[in-house]
Formats: sequence, structure tokens, C-alpha cells
Amino acid sequence: MVSIANKGRSLWADAVLRLRRDPLAMVCFTIIALYLLMSLLCATGVIFTDYNVTDNAQAYQPPSAEHWMGTDLFGRDVMARAAHGTITSLIVGFFGAALAVAIGTILGALAGYFGGKIDDLIVWLYTTVDTIPYILLVVAFSFVMGPGLNTLCLAIGLTSWIRFCRVIRSEFMKHREREYVQGATALGAGHLRRIFIHILPNTFHLVLINFSLGFVTAIKSEVILSYLGMGVAPGTPSWGMMISDAKLELFREVWWGLAAATLFMFFLVLAFTLFNDALRDALDPKLKNR
Amino acid sequence: MSSSSIIQVRDLAVEFRTDEGTVNAVKKISFDIPRGKTVGLVGESGSGKSVTSLAVMRLIPNPPGRVTNGQIIYNGKDLLKQTESEMRSIRGANISMIFQEPMTSLNPVFTVGDQISETLMLHQKMSKQAAWDKALDLLTQVGIPNPKERIKSYPHEMSGGQRQRVMIAMAIACEPDVLIADEPTTALDVTIQKQILDLLADLQKKYQMSILFITHDLGVIADIADEVVVMYRGDIVEKGDTATIFTKPQHPYTKGLLACRPSLDRNPRRLPVVSDFMTPDGKEKSFNVEILKQQKQTRAVSDNQPVLLQIENVKKHFPLQKGFFGGVKSWVKAVDDVSLNVRKGRTLGLVGESGCGKTTLGRTILRLVEPTSGKIIYNGTDITTLDRESMRAMRRKMQIIFQDPYASLNPRMTVGAALMEPMIIHGLGANRQERLEMAGQLMKKVGLDNNMLNRYPHEFSGGQRQRICIARALAVKPEFIICDESVSALDVSIQAQILNLLLDLQDEMGLTYVFISHDLAVVKFISDEVAVMYNGKVVEMNDAVGIYENPQHEYTKKLLSAIPKGMPKHLLT
Repeated sequence: MVSIANKGRSLWADAVLRLRRDPLAMVCFTIIALYLLMSLLCATGVIFTDYNVTDNAQAYQPPSAEHWMGTDLFGRDVMARAAHGTITSLIVGFFGAALAVAIGTILGALAGYFGGKIDDLIVWLYTTVDTIPYILLVVAFSFVMGPGLNTLCLAIGLTSWIRFCRVIRSEFMKHREREYVQGATALGAGHLRRIFIHILPNTFHLVLINFSLGFVTAIKSEVILSYLGMGVAPGTPSWGMMISDAKLELFREVWWGLAAATLFMFFLVLAFTLFNDALRDALDPKLKNR
Repeated sequence: MSSSSIIQVRDLAVEFRTDEGTVNAVKKISFDIPRGKTVGLVGESGSGKSVTSLAVMRLIPNPPGRVTNGQIIYNGKDLLKQTESEMRSIRGANISMIFQEPMTSLNPVFTVGDQISETLMLHQKMSKQAAWDKALDLLTQVGIPNPKERIKSYPHEMSGGQRQRVMIAMAIACEPDVLIADEPTTALDVTIQKQILDLLADLQKKYQMSILFITHDLGVIADIADEVVVMYRGDIVEKGDTATIFTKPQHPYTKGLLACRPSLDRNPRRLPVVSDFMTPDGKEKSFNVEILKQQKQTRAVSDNQPVLLQIENVKKHFPLQKGFFGGVKSWVKAVDDVSLNVRKGRTLGLVGESGCGKTTLGRTILRLVEPTSGKIIYNGTDITTLDRESMRAMRRKMQIIFQDPYASLNPRMTVGAALMEPMIIHGLGANRQERLEMAGQLMKKVGLDNNMLNRYPHEFSGGQRQRICIARALAVKPEFIICDESVSALDVSIQAQILNLLLDLQDEMGLTYVFISHDLAVVKFISDEVAVMYNGKVVEMNDAVGIYENPQHEYTKKLLSAIPKGMPKHLLT
């Protein structure tokens, strides 16, 4: 009987350990977790239930004890709307990034692993897509499919996979020639086993970092698209919508709508970006002494 | 203070803080580097020898490293007390250093001339033209052919040996008092190694430098060191003049190091290893080396065994230049018309320098690389004609063990998973429990503990990893194994253990080996027949003793003369 008692620590476990020792990473992680919690509580109707309550008499009230961040044109509480905007942002961030990373990883893996004609085809595909200005492509998607949350996720996912594809492709090209992959070949491992069991886990740290980068990009894209009027359906709370509304509001010296959306976005994006850096440091096997 | 020593290291202690706690890398060691002499600092990986040299240069990465105690006195000054800017003026100008890997120590985007003259302009405030002229002079001194042309070369345009020469030229540019050479020849072929050693000896005489030569291989420094310091686990276990160390070693570790190197004039079946001389806690064990010396090759397998592998006119050409329309303009003939036979249960050694095509040939035999033409007949079947499925079945019988045990194991897989994977592929073992059982037996077979199956490769040392690679190759119960430089990346002391293991496994399981190496001494030790490869062709083939006693080809003779004798010249009779 072989004992299981002597358990080793994987490189993943090492990375988690390093991450947990990094105070900045833990602060960022907590902030992200708080955003998640807030959006969950908003979505289940526990907090900020008044986000859609209109009261024309209360229009454009400056910040006060009752409305910490004032009210908008329809007298709705700005803070509640900004908090609910988090839901939109997180959904778009998650699904947009997930789609982009999935496409980028699969195509990149195939191109990098097989090389030759398959590589030529995939490289042709992404260089072609890459020649079209990104924002134009997203706008085109939104026009064709009509505004909405699904459209946003799809549009962002289908247009932002290119750089992930490049990264994963080069990583697969590098690993394809490594001795452990050659060793697997010599043991009789087929293509799928080599791609998914051997190389992918060794590039997965990049997939993770890509996902986290994609998350930030998607959140920012949502804001830009909503600002351009091609985001979520009117009435849905969204930071982009709030910033878009601020175009007209600022003339009336109503600054709090813009401030609330920017603040909410600022902390989420900052936390994500810093967490990203920490994640990269923790996952980079080069920093690990052999 | 004695004026005969240029550097005095006193009670030096260095520690590293790691996730697992504090590691005492160097434990209060003291030694001197005499003026104008060469000191060899010998020890295995992790013995603290490189850390010691980095401490002298004040280059210990901090954190995690820290010098906790001691003095390093150079010209009456304690280097550990100098400011960083004072150290900067000492490094390169007074004490300089060369490293193991000449490719990574040179900047790939500058020409070698630029890099050498930069050092001169920085430290000696020379004008650009003067520095360039001096660089040219230095390249001539270190024996770069056609220096006027090569000074404008980039590092990648030079061979490994030439790059190491350039590194040496940079190191001696400011005529330093002390040159620290950290394993400068370990990454090089034996023939190049000899040239570099000769060059260092010449330069030392010319400039009256002191050299601190760091190596894991006692044999390498026999000819060039005046004194030897042997380190083991952060401590100095023995020091003395070279002749004494080689003829009357005192410490069991030194004895083990001296004995474990395969030698050309002895024919033992097993190599002595350090653990034959010493218990793990450093106590001496009685061991009679004479037994090993007298022991002759006692192989049960005779030379009239049936041929297992037949290589017929195999060629592998790689396209070098492609024309605009995809037509190939020129080819690299990595393997050029090679024919060989390997008999069942025996070992064919394949020896040659880097780039001679021996590795390509090894991979072609397993069809990891498809041959351009020729036949590879294994047990009567031409495997070049097999389709994917039949080839996969054939892979069960033919295995490979690579050079770098760090690169050839998947870092994200536990050792157990790595050992069970081939069983899953080839349907060995009925269920997970049975496979786990088999993996445990494999671990024991290669001398590892079977409760380490849940560990990851990075938790093992280089020698242990190579054992795991061997276990993985054995997992499919193969008949034939290619060992591609399988011991070249290991310390000599570990190398002996792995060679013994390979021989034991051969006797036990009747394995057939093709053993690829650049080191003729190792090849001669393990092989029955030896084939010498040069420029993609087999230039000479004979039995192992015949190659050594009666070399025919010029290149074989050159290879033989380049092997370190493992004993200072004047002591050889």
C-alpha cells in the first residue's frame, strides 16, 4: 500500500501562499470581494432597494444626509444607482473576459501547438480582425444585435481575444519544444493529451492573468459603449450611462452623478489592476528558485 | 597580515531566508587566495561554493541572502565594509568574474567589441578608439581566430567556446588581481574545455593574476590549480596543495569525489560513489578502492546477441534557407547517412561534440524527429513506415531519458501522476490503485522513497529528478532506452550514482541502451561499443576498449587527449 501522507506542494499552492503573504494583494482582493458582495446584495434586493424610485420633486438634489451622493434628474438616489451599476459592470467584465480568454486560449493553443497551415490560418484571422479599429467593431456589433447586456458581453468577448491569442500562441510554441513535452511524445501521448494535460496547465497562469486583464478592459469598454449610447438598455443602472448623463448635467453644476460613477469605477479598476500585478508576481515561476 | 595572500576570507557565514526557514549556505569558512596562484574551490551543487564567490564580489542577492559574519580582506581592506560605490570600482577592475553560461552573460544586442571596450572606457577612462584597439588586442590574446573581423560579431554568431573566450577577454580587460571563474567550462565540450583551461593557465602566468576556480569536478582543476579547497554542505572539509589533495586525500568526501569520476584506464563495472566512503552525517566508512580497480567487465551479455536495432543510411536534413516561393535553397545535414547496429542487451555509446548530430540521431530513432530518408529497423520492423497508432504501440518498447532533469518533467504534475501517465496511455494496470502500486515499486527500483509520489518535481534535487525520469521511462517496461546526455547536467558525484543505476537496471531487466554523450570517459565506462560522430557522420566505430587503445580517426584522438586525467600532470607516470 502506498502512503498518501507525504503530500507535496504544487506550484499553484506556492503561488496562493505567496499571494496571501502580499498585503497589497490581500487588500485588493478584499475590495474586489466587497464589490462582489455589494452587487449580490443589490441583486437580491437587500440593500439600495430604492434605486428605481423616481420622485420629480427631488430632482438634482446635492449630496445630503438622506442622499449621500445626491439625486439625478428623476430624483433617484445616485449612490443606489452607482451600486447597482456594479452588477452590470461585473457581469460584462466576467462574461466578456471569459469569452475573450476562451477564444484566445483555444485558438492560440491550436496555432502554437500545431504550427504550419493551422498557425497561418489563425494568424491570418487575428491580423485581419486586428486591422479593424476595436471600437468600430464593437459599435458595429451593438448596432447589428441591438443594445443590451448580452450584446455587450458578446461584442466585447468577440473583439478583445486577439492579444490573449498572441500570448498563448507564443507560449505554446515555446513549450511545444520543451523536453517534458517531447518526453510525453516518447511515452506515446497523443496531441490532445499533450495540449490539455501537459502544456495548458503550464500556461494556465497566463490564462489567469489574461482573464484578470480582460476583466478590467471589459469594464472600461462597457463604460465607453454606454457613454456612446450603445450600452445597456435605457433605465438599467450603469456607470457608463451615468457618465453619459453627466455630459448635460455638468452645465447645471450637477457634478455628483459623474463623481459617484467615477469613484465606484476607480476603486474596482484600481483594485483589479494592482491584484493583477500581484498575481503575475505570485504565478511567475521564474521568480521561484529551482 | 601576510602579504602573500591577495584575498583572505575569515569566518565567512552566509544565510538565505526561504519559505521553509533559514538556510545556512556558508558556515564560517576561512581560506586564502595566494597572490599569483590558482585556488580550486570544489564541491557539489548546493555546497556553498558559488555563494562564497558571490560574497567576495558582494553580489549576494539581498533579500533573501545575507552575510552574517566574517571578513573578506583584499589589499588590507575588508570588502564587506566597503560602500556600494567603492565596490563598483573594485568589481571588474580589481576582481572580475566569469560565469558558466557564456551566452546569457553577454548582451545579445551589442557586438563583442562594444562590450569589451565599454568595460575599458568605464574603468580605465580610455577614449573610444583606444578602448577598441585594446579590445582587439585582448581578443587576439584569448585566441579568437581572425579577431579583426570577429570583433564586430554579435554573441550569437560565435560558438560556445568562443563566447567563453570573449567573457575571459572582458574579465581580464582591466588586468585584475583576482579572477573568479565560476564553473567556466561546465557548459562546454571536453575538447573546448581543455582549450579554455590552457588559456586560463597562460593568462595567469602572463598577468600574474590569482584565480579562484569553482567547479564540481575535481578532475578538471588537476592541472591548473595550485591549491584546492573542498566544500561540503557549506563547510570546508579539506584544503591543501593540489598534489597532496590528489595523492593523500584525508576527508572521505574528497576521496569519494576523486574516485567517482570514470577514468579511461580503469575498467570497473561499477563506479565508486561518495556514499561508499562516507555516511550521510560525514563519518568515514571503510571502503577498499582496490576492489573496484581490480574488478573487470563481467558482462553476462556476449557480443553475439541478435541485432535489436538496425539503422540503415539514415539522413536528417533541416532546411536552412528558404527561397521566396518556399523552395529550399540550402540544408543543414544534421545526420548524414548513418548506419549502425545495436545488439540486444548491450550498450552502444554515441560520442561527439555539440552540433555533431548525435542528439538528432537519437530523436530520429524514436521518430520524435522524422528522418529525411533511410530505414530504422527495430526487431525486424521498419518503424519509419508505421502509422500513428502502430507507432504509439511501438513507443512502449522504446524510451528516452533526456539531459536536463529540470526540463524533462512537467512542473505541474506530481511525480506519481508523471509515472502513472504512461501506464494510462498504454493501458497498463487495471485501476488507479494498481497503477499507484506499480509507481511505488518503480520509485523503489530507482532508489527513491515510494511515499514521495505526491510531491512535485521542484521539490527534488537534480539527481533525484533524473531518477524519476528513469522511473518514468521504465514505467512502460521498455526493451530499449536512449540516454541522451542523461548524466551531463549532473555533478560528477551524482553522475556516478546514476551511471551505476543504469547499469544495475540493464543487468536486472536486460535493457538495451544507446548512450549519447560528449564525454568519452563516461561513454567508455558504460558502453560495449562506441561510435564516434563528427559533422553528422559516424567516423569511427569499435568496441569500447578498442576505441581507447587504438583510435583511428583524428577526431577520436583529439577527444581522447582532451579528457581531464583527473590527476596533476607531474604526478602521472
